[in-house]
Amino acid sequence: MRSRSRKSRWVLPATAVSVIALVAAGCGGSDDESSDSSGGSGGGGGDGAPGATEESGVKLGVLGECEGPFGGFHEDTVAGVALALSNLAGAKVESKTSALDGWTGATVNGTPIELVGIGCGDDTADTISEEIRQLVEQEGANIVIGPLSGDEGIAVAEYAKANPELTVLSGIAGSQEPTLQVQAPNFFRFHGDGAIWNAGMGDILHNEEGWDTVAVIADDYSFGHTSAAGFIADFCGVGGDVTTRVFPPLGTTDYSSYIQQLPNPDEVDGYFWAVGGTGTQAALEAFVNAKGDLTGDQHAGNLFFNPDLAQALGTDIAGAYVGGFAVLPGDVQTPEIQQYLASADKTWNTLASGITGGEPGPPSAAAGFGFMYGYYSAGVALVEALEETGGDPSPDALQPALAELELDLPYGPISLDENRSGIVDVGLSQLVEKDGEIVQEAVAIIPEVDQTFGGTFSTDTPPPSRDFPPCEEADLPWVGNAIPVVDGKPQE
Amino acid sequence: MISRRSLTRTNAVVAAVVVLLLVLPAFGSDFFVRFIMTQTLILGLMAATIVFLTAYGGMISLAQLLLAGVAGFMFGNAALSEGARGLNLGLSPWVAVVFALAVTTVVAFLLGALASRTTGIYFLMLTLVYGVIGYTVFAQVVTISGPSGITSIVAPEPFTEPVNLYYAALVLSVLAYIAFRAIGRTNFGLAMQGVRDDPIRMSSLGFNVALHRTLAFTLGGLVAGVAGLLNVWWRKQIDPASINIGPTLAILIIAVIGGISYFEGAWLGALVYVLLNTYTKSIPLIDQIGLTPDRFNTVIGLMVLLIMVLSPEGLAGILERLSRGRGLGKPTQHSVEPPTTSTSPVRTGPGGLQ
Repeated sequence: MRSRSRKSRWVLPATAVSVIALVAAGCGGSDDESSDSSGGSGGGGGDGAPGATEESGVKLGVLGECEGPFGGFHEDTVAGVALALSNLAGAKVESKTSALDGWTGATVNGTPIELVGIGCGDDTADTISEEIRQLVEQEGANIVIGPLSGDEGIAVAEYAKANPELTVLSGIAGSQEPTLQVQAPNFFRFHGDGAIWNAGMGDILHNEEGWDTVAVIADDYSFGHTSAAGFIADFCGVGGDVTTRVFPPLGTTDYSSYIQQLPNPDEVDGYFWAVGGTGTQAALEAFVNAKGDLTGDQHAGNLFFNPDLAQALGTDIAGAYVGGFAVLPGDVQTPEIQQYLASADKTWNTLASGITGGEPGPPSAAAGFGFMYGYYSAGVALVEALEETGGDPSPDALQPALAELELDLPYGPISLDENRSGIVDVGLSQLVEKDGEIVQEAVAIIPEVDQTFGGTFSTDTPPPSRDFPPCEEADLPWVGNAIPVVDGKPQE
Repeated sequence: MISRRSLTRTNAVVAAVVVLLLVLPAFGSDFFVRFIMTQTLILGLMAATIVFLTAYGGMISLAQLLLAGVAGFMFGNAALSEGARGLNLGLSPWVAVVFALAVTTVVAFLLGALASRTTGIYFLMLTLVYGVIGYTVFAQVVTISGPSGITSIVAPEPFTEPVNLYYAALVLSVLAYIAFRAIGRTNFGLAMQGVRDDPIRMSSLGFNVALHRTLAFTLGGLVAGVAGLLNVWWRKQIDPASINIGPTLAILIIAVIGGISYFEGAWLGALVYVLLNTYTKSIPLIDQIGLTPDRFNTVIGLMVLLIMVLSPEGLAGILERLSRGRGLGKPTQHSVEPPTTSTSPVRTGPGGLQ
């Protein structure tokens, strides 16, 4: 007994030591070469990003979103990239019902594009930082597509800035800072930002609908700030006045105290809502409870306003204007759009998209929404840039090629500004009642909007916040240039 | 009672692990050293402050991540000279370190003084309230943070190099471990254990119970602040979500997994937590049984449940029982004994150091 007891005393040290040794040894290897390439970079560049120049192919990581307010769109993110590679790089998806199973056979000019991992974001900077580190430092990704959300975009751009060997293409993160303030030379955004997507709204509401005063309520985080900033810059730019700004925290469920901070309907001409995710309906219901019934002619919202709101709020919401997103409103159909949507239905039988509530639904429904389309755009950009470089994925070749790209995408052309952020067309729409149902109809396309708003935003201005930008008149490049849309057809 | 031989063995184990960790960068992968182990050491250091307060003071605190966050936010405010948010004081990095730790210590003292007259579940709830208030303050007060937090934080030289940061986390963890154990043998540590076991008697003996609790909380806050600095240097940013209720509970879960009455358990729990968080999704076919990455909380919850059933003293308790040749189902002798006057600082039963 004594000898057994003595022997067993060493179970603790042996276990502790062997666990660490085994795990360390088991995890070694994949980035051994990277220590050489990163070791001499110094400064912030020493985080262990692999030397992509040594790689023969693209090791692609996708930053998805499986938790948090936008967690339902995880499938959409990977599907966007997979669809681009399926359409343009010969990829075969592994599953006809889920994009998360990845693809095989994607090549551009003989360069294979391998999916090495899918990150799982939750709308926080901490988590997405850990996820991109795993993709790059553990899985060896040399190109990353993502993330989805605003604060995540800032964190990922910061990481990209510290790891110049890495190339990042934003998924659909719509905060202004990743490109205008962080300015990582290896972070590319082939979509607009939250401000861009509201360009032209103020012009319509002030000059056509006669709103002079407006109250703004927006999510209190970088995308909400950016979205509100775009509307405020636009509305004030053309001579309107924002009397109140209210910023409830993201994820609020009871909006009553924030609604109380808004003026009553007889005190302002209208309200602009930039409350997203599950908060849109909750906030509007709180408004109905506190201020009386909604009338569509007194409300406008960013991309999160949609016809489904009528199910809870009634058809009185008809008349409300809705900001743009990465895609044009659903009633705008061109051959390119139809071909793109059909390709999604051809690639998968069903997808459990966020747009179908996480239930299996038609892939074209997901493809027609901005989240998947943003990732699709990034995938297309990657393929076209690789074609430009002859399949060379090294940063020295790929990054200049990305910066010069002019994409001709289904929902309109996209090029990049000097900060590598998208210059895009924005489609504004309106909720209208047809046969007793609320539908969304396009009203105008604002062409070639960039994120500076004619100088309101620049690298020298602070990022959008609760009190920036101030309400000031400005010359906006697109005033008077809006392309009206009638019955889904742009009137050139 | 813990035999002298047992203590020596514990020290030998810890020393062996420390030696192993010192040479780890020579043979471990970059990712393992810079991501897994650096994160483990930082989280372990934070969790060790919970163990410290629980073991010596009987105070289970949910405010430790808040205090780590205060240090991180203050460093960001002080060290950055230009940035999107914050005070942008532009102090030199090491002055910013002193500033951050000073503010954290003062905050910990004030919060500790306020909480010093509460015990048990009331202390737990009060520190939870601290955490919620802290989150709200940093989310709402744009002068010092705002909802998107402070970004572009750079560590002082030489800790910009990830391996150096790993060694900093290791050295500070070892120092904290030694200090926490040594405190148990000091007059202050002995008085704290008396305060934990019978505050009324200690009070009647002339000890200032509230002051002892306050000072212990302050010391724990200072060490949490050190861990908070390492954390922002490692992450390069901090925002209110970093100190939200989820991460706050994660630190407590780490302490529970490791064994809330074992200092070694703090780092052991952190290692298990980080490994699970990192590698669960890599296990082949794991998604076939429904454990997709978004189910990490389910995995960690099951882990905690399993550990609590097998051994309320956590993994360190399980390892100790195994090393003593006892079955998992039997409680260790010291976990059911009433507190004694032994001065051994490390191993404790639930609610009592022996």
